[in-house]
Amino acid sequence: MKKIFSILLSSALLLSCSEDILETQPYDRYTEETYWTSEKNAVAALNGCYAVLKEDGIYGGTATPLWEETATPNAYNYDNSFGFNVIALGTQTASPANSGEIINNRWTDSYRGIGRCNTLLAEVDKVPMSDALKTQMKAEAKFLRGLYYSLLEMYYGGVPLILEKPDVATQAELPRNTRAEVVEQVLKDLDEAASVLPAKYTAAADKGRATKGAALGIKARVLLFEASPLVNITNDLSKWTAAASAAKAVMDLAPQAGYDLFSNYRTLFLPANENNSEVIFDVQFKAPEQTGNSFDLINRQFNTNAPLRNLIDAYYMKDGLPINQSPLYNPAKPYENREPRFYQSLVFPGDTYMGAPVTATNPFKITGYTFKKYGIYDKEPSTIILNAGQSETNYMVMRYADVLLMYAEAQNEAVGPDVSVYAAINKVRQRAGLVPFEVPLGKTKSEMREIIRQERRIELAGEGFYYTDIRRWKTAEQVMNATIFNSQNQAIVKRTFNPARDYWWPVPQTQRDLNPNLAQNDNY
Amino acid sequence: MKHILPLLSLATSLSCFCSVRLEAQSSAVNLNKSNAAYADQPTFPDDHKLPKPVSNQLLSASTATPLKSILVADVPVRGRIAADNGDPLPGVTVVIKGTTVGTTSGADGSYSINVPDGKGTLVFSFIGFLTQEVAINNRTTLDVIMGNDAKALEEVVVIGYGTEKKVNLTGAVSTLGMKQKENMPITNASQALHGVGGVWVNQAGGKPGQDAGSIRIRGVGTTNNNNPLVLVDGIEYNMNDINPATIETITVLKDASAAIYGSRAANGVILVTTKSGRKGKSEVNYSFSHGIQSATFIPDAVWDPILYMQSKNQALRNEGKTVVDYSDAQIEEYRAGMATNPYAYPNRNYFDEIIKNGYLQQHNLRFSGGSDKIVYSLALGFMDQDGIFIAANHANRYSLDLNTSANLSEKIKVGATIKTMYRKYTEPAQGTEAFINRFFRVLPIFASYLEDGSYGSAVFTTPGQNIIANPYMTLKEGMNEHASFRTLTKIFADINLPFHFTYSANLGIDKLDGAADDVNGASRQFNPYMTTYHPLTKAPNFYNPTPYSYIYNQNNLNLSAYHTLSWNQKLADAHNLSAMGGMSYTKFDNSFSSSQVYGYFDNSLTDINAGSINPQVTGRHTEDLLLSYFGRVGYDFKEKYLLDATVRYDGSGRFRQGRRWGLYYGLSAGWRLDQEAFFKNVTALNFVDLFKIRASYGELGNQAVALYSYSPTVNLGSDYAFNNTIAAGAAITSAVDRDISWETTHTYDIGTDFSAWNGMVNLSFDVFKKRTTDILRQVNIPAQVGGLTGPTRNIGVVDNTGYDISLSHRNTIRNFKYEVAGEFGYVKNEVIDLDDARVVGARRITIEGYPLDSYYLYEAIGIYQNQDEVNNSAKISNAVKPGYIRYKDQNNDGKINGDDRIITGSTIPKYTYGFNINVGFKDISLSSFFQGVQGVDLYPTANLATPFNNGAGVTNEWITDSWTPENPNAKLPILTTATGATENFQPSTFFLRDGSYMRLKNIQLKYNLPVTLISKVHLSNLSVFANGENIVTFTKFRDFDPEKTITQDNLYEYPSLKTFSFGVNATF
Repeated sequence: MKKIFSILLSSALLLSCSEDILETQPYDRYTEETYWTSEKNAVAALNGCYAVLKEDGIYGGTATPLWEETATPNAYNYDNSFGFNVIALGTQTASPANSGEIINNRWTDSYRGIGRCNTLLAEVDKVPMSDALKTQMKAEAKFLRGLYYSLLEMYYGGVPLILEKPDVATQAELPRNTRAEVVEQVLKDLDEAASVLPAKYTAAADKGRATKGAALGIKARVLLFEASPLVNITNDLSKWTAAASAAKAVMDLAPQAGYDLFSNYRTLFLPANENNSEVIFDVQFKAPEQTGNSFDLINRQFNTNAPLRNLIDAYYMKDGLPINQSPLYNPAKPYENREPRFYQSLVFPGDTYMGAPVTATNPFKITGYTFKKYGIYDKEPSTIILNAGQSETNYMVMRYADVLLMYAEAQNEAVGPDVSVYAAINKVRQRAGLVPFEVPLGKTKSEMREIIRQERRIELAGEGFYYTDIRRWKTAEQVMNATIFNSQNQAIVKRTFNPARDYWWPVPQTQRDLNPNLAQNDNY
Repeated sequence: MKHILPLLSLATSLSCFCSVRLEAQSSAVNLNKSNAAYADQPTFPDDHKLPKPVSNQLLSASTATPLKSILVADVPVRGRIAADNGDPLPGVTVVIKGTTVGTTSGADGSYSINVPDGKGTLVFSFIGFLTQEVAINNRTTLDVIMGNDAKALEEVVVIGYGTEKKVNLTGAVSTLGMKQKENMPITNASQALHGVGGVWVNQAGGKPGQDAGSIRIRGVGTTNNNNPLVLVDGIEYNMNDINPATIETITVLKDASAAIYGSRAANGVILVTTKSGRKGKSEVNYSFSHGIQSATFIPDAVWDPILYMQSKNQALRNEGKTVVDYSDAQIEEYRAGMATNPYAYPNRNYFDEIIKNGYLQQHNLRFSGGSDKIVYSLALGFMDQDGIFIAANHANRYSLDLNTSANLSEKIKVGATIKTMYRKYTEPAQGTEAFINRFFRVLPIFASYLEDGSYGSAVFTTPGQNIIANPYMTLKEGMNEHASFRTLTKIFADINLPFHFTYSANLGIDKLDGAADDVNGASRQFNPYMTTYHPLTKAPNFYNPTPYSYIYNQNNLNLSAYHTLSWNQKLADAHNLSAMGGMSYTKFDNSFSSSQVYGYFDNSLTDINAGSINPQVTGRHTEDLLLSYFGRVGYDFKEKYLLDATVRYDGSGRFRQGRRWGLYYGLSAGWRLDQEAFFKNVTALNFVDLFKIRASYGELGNQAVALYSYSPTVNLGSDYAFNNTIAAGAAITSAVDRDISWETTHTYDIGTDFSAWNGMVNLSFDVFKKRTTDILRQVNIPAQVGGLTGPTRNIGVVDNTGYDISLSHRNTIRNFKYEVAGEFGYVKNEVIDLDDARVVGARRITIEGYPLDSYYLYEAIGIYQNQDEVNNSAKISNAVKPGYIRYKDQNNDGKINGDDRIITGSTIPKYTYGFNINVGFKDISLSSFFQGVQGVDLYPTANLATPFNNGAGVTNEWITDSWTPENPNAKLPILTTATGATENFQPSTFFLRDGSYMRLKNIQLKYNLPVTLISKVHLSNLSVFANGENIVTFTKFRDFDPEKTITQDNLYEYPSLKTFSFGVNATF
């Protein structure tokens, strides 16, 4: 009060305008100028780069990876969560009405991550701290930048390649680079990250950070995409070789990093076994202190990733044979004598779920099925009810089984089904509990290709990888031009897939509205 | 007499008290029945006990002793004097013609005078009214109704830091006397502005406790904050936090006249003046009203469960699905079940059951009065409102207002205004919008309660309805209370200085505790444990298995201090000069804190203390600073040529050093033709009371950007949890333009005021142009720039051009009186320059050459009638079938994509209007007020606007008027689900609706009981009244009440309310 009057008085007399009394500043945020001054701050900025992994467009939000499965013959998203059903139907557009949907979000969130990594890479050298830590942090940021850019190039093709700190003036109007340019940068980032990052961390508080194996694993995934028919039109075998050796590099790291398949396929996906030996890289969810994911809610109640009959039929019988080859299959009792992963991943009519019997329409009305993979619920009743954002199960971006299957696929394509191919796939089948687990010897390259693809589909079912698999294999135009069925073999809807268009997502119209220099993908 | 002279000069320089002073002087003048200058003609002998008009105020009964009692055989004549609207008129001079014998009427309008022999004529005169002469003719009771005298209108209007005679205004200023709105069921002061010229009030919904209208003055100048600056008794304040019953007048500054408020004036300025006391007999006024409220519009949902299920199935089939939601067996089961087990198979209209009649009651009690030394007004208000939902929508408001001032000496006057209000309202636990969202998803097959009293889910599951939102449960469980306590204390001192100077110092302290309006911050919230149970299997469906408690507390202290030095002087009896200079300093100290905790076992304990898991806290403190210097110079020559200039120099803490200071000014001039000799001397023109031409130009600012918008910041909170241990994360989340500064609005106005036939006809007409440059807008940037939120920037130029007309006619024919008055405003909005950029949202675009936020949509050109039409045209996707909407391929590239959108429609009404039709006969009056907007479009989407939106229900229109091969000319496309056939629910002109409407906002019937009757119980005035509010609406919009938030496309707003109320208003 006194101050006010003295201000009034002095100003009335002198009519001087002092800037000081107008000076105010926030006390709940740092200004950019003063931020890059301490190790703590720099580490927090790197954590902010990781945090983007939890966004809707990447691996987080409600259940993005689970829903991505619904753009494949594996599952069905009846209410078009994040726009995945529209993609499944082949009716996706660049339309602005899709804001909030995956085609927009993946673009935006990837760049959010990229921007944060670019900022860290640009600023971290200013910070007074040890060079070793700076080098380590830069390697983590490069890993993440490579990961985020890999999402962009695999879904949209070429995108603006921006490596500097976000700047509206210089970056807002940049056009798309070619996909090759983006891939080259992704590989460069991942290589540089792999050369610095440790095989594993000793401190518990560092579990979940990017490792050498993570960088090499994502590199293998990127190279596998490059080698696959969608983009490797001439089937350049050297690309398969490159992919195989990248995967092999992860396998070679196994003793040092402690990688191995986790013993139990069911519990591999439970929060109790987070950070187990099979994890190459995962998104570390935590609830309730943070917003977690909604995997449990989606599986238990929403049923928006409802498994389809087509996936049910793809599982082996317990003898390791497909249903059309195994004597164990009884069409009247289709859920009997199936392989263990079937029972460890799915809930089906006649099963028990949370203590209650499951029928074809109750409680999973959509198809009669639900996934139990990545959910805590099983046959037993549960008193823990997890709703939206309350699940903290880590999502495995890459696990060792994936590496083995990538290796098998690439090696088979590069040199044919050699011993190492059999060894890799058999290792996965052995853990799965198939009896016998061995793939019979003497398969041709193309027979082996089908076996590997089948194995990939089942082993990784419900985890969100199959959509990119069927695109890179260029099989989507067959498997997605199909009617989908529920547990009673009733047709649900007919899907379409336009091979001239649907292998790539459109550049979101909102982005093109903001930057008219962004060219659109073909036929959108 | 000697005392009065200095007062005259003081009066003209003092602010709010001026109006009453002038009235007082004038009534004194009238006593001598002369319009000559007061000081020149002392009429009364010294021994006359003239009531001393020292400190202003109307003469009233207690002090108005009869002027002279010198007569014999006097016969007392009594009566009551009222204005033509029926209100009692105090202070009216009553004189026996040809004598100096007289009196004045008391606060209740009554008078008593002794007349010799019951003969003669009484002369009634009062400033602003036509003088009347009435022969007594031996009557002892003589009631008089006084007609307005526009010629004598000395009405004074509050303008920035001062007052001005209305006839001498040079700016575009609308005034509203709250008398006009008396007895109406107004719950928020903003609602009173409906129908004020050039002002668009949009009251979206009638949610108890949160039913303020948004106010736009002369269009929308910016994409940023468009709210006008509101000052209550000179201090920036929130209209929500004042009791409308305590308002005397509201002044709206629409043009350069607002420039005195500088950097906050661009959206116009609203000056609220509250009721103060008057010298005279103490008066007690009490009013009460009680109203019944109901929704104006509720969507016409399908409630027949069988019809619903069949329609849903049909919709799914229509969009190509072969598996439908309800099998034939299920439908049959339901049909049978309805008869035997209504718990499980209900057949009911949920809207009828959840929506009831609400009520609104208000009590207002006011004590006022005063003496030579001190005047006071003490008002108490109470409002109690219960909304139309069966629970969780209750509002209360308690207010206390004290206005008082005292003359310490002839030179010094001090005073204080204290306004306090405690208000609170309740909402459903998860908020009103979330509740209505869910409520509009309720299906006819939802159970309500089961036999055991638990909440039911539904016998059949419906895709999309995974979590059953039983509306009984979501309304009744948990709590969500908003409460705030706010006090505005203003103290002031006015000091007369030598040489016609007056100094005025003012300090306002505005303290707010609680959280009434913060959307995110209920003061107290308990998000309860909620579960429904399957009606047959009793399987639980968890709505909210994890209850939490939340508290939020705001703590704001706003200090405003301003002082002014003013001077005025009349030179050579012709040149009126005035000058005022001042400065102000405003500091908003705002802080909040909130806490939230989980871990409740059930809904019995709700306090934060009872929780145990995952406690979370937030809080923040900010300062907002504004330092200003301002001044005004006025000049007129014989009230013929009027000039006014204002200037303001504002410094704001919202911008960085170097961009902080802005200079604003306004210039205006007026010419009173009616005062010109060439006008006055023409007899044929004598019917004209006022004819003025005026013009103004000014530059005003808008500084309303978020605090620290200029400062590039690194925000904490982007945390990550390594190995389940949370690690703090930080990130830059938005781009920043460091150089942002004020928006500037250049405002041009030319207008005229005209009044004729003693106020029978009044006309004001203004043409204006407002050009806002450097508009501040948070712009979107491509995500490739780090996925950042776009910066707030000064990006462009927006024009608002238009006109306002106000026209009124009133007349009194014997006991019959009537008034017709209308206000009409037109505004054309256009973005002039946007640096070639465009701002595109999901359905709207801002682009040069079009109004702000125009709709940006596919152009629907009908419905596909057959497969050939589908095959032979560009389609949005290959799922398009007959019955689907056909979009125009604007660029003929064979594809329907974003490039085919057109710019159309308007989110800003082009025309706003309001008009009154009032009639009265003797003590009965009927007034009606219509109000409307024209030229605005709405885009209704989501639950109950689109069919079966993600599992929601459908309206009957989609059943009866959607396309089928048999009904090819239907209004709507083929029935599908909104989520399943996205092709039909693209943003398109098909669903763009005309949002124009006209409504009978209020109709009021009032009866003033005769004085002769009520005076026996010591009442001076007693009226009873009945109101109808929002009872008739004319509109083409069929999806909801058209008065909704235009930029909110869904229907999740509290319904607008219609009110039938009655009440009494009594003065003792």
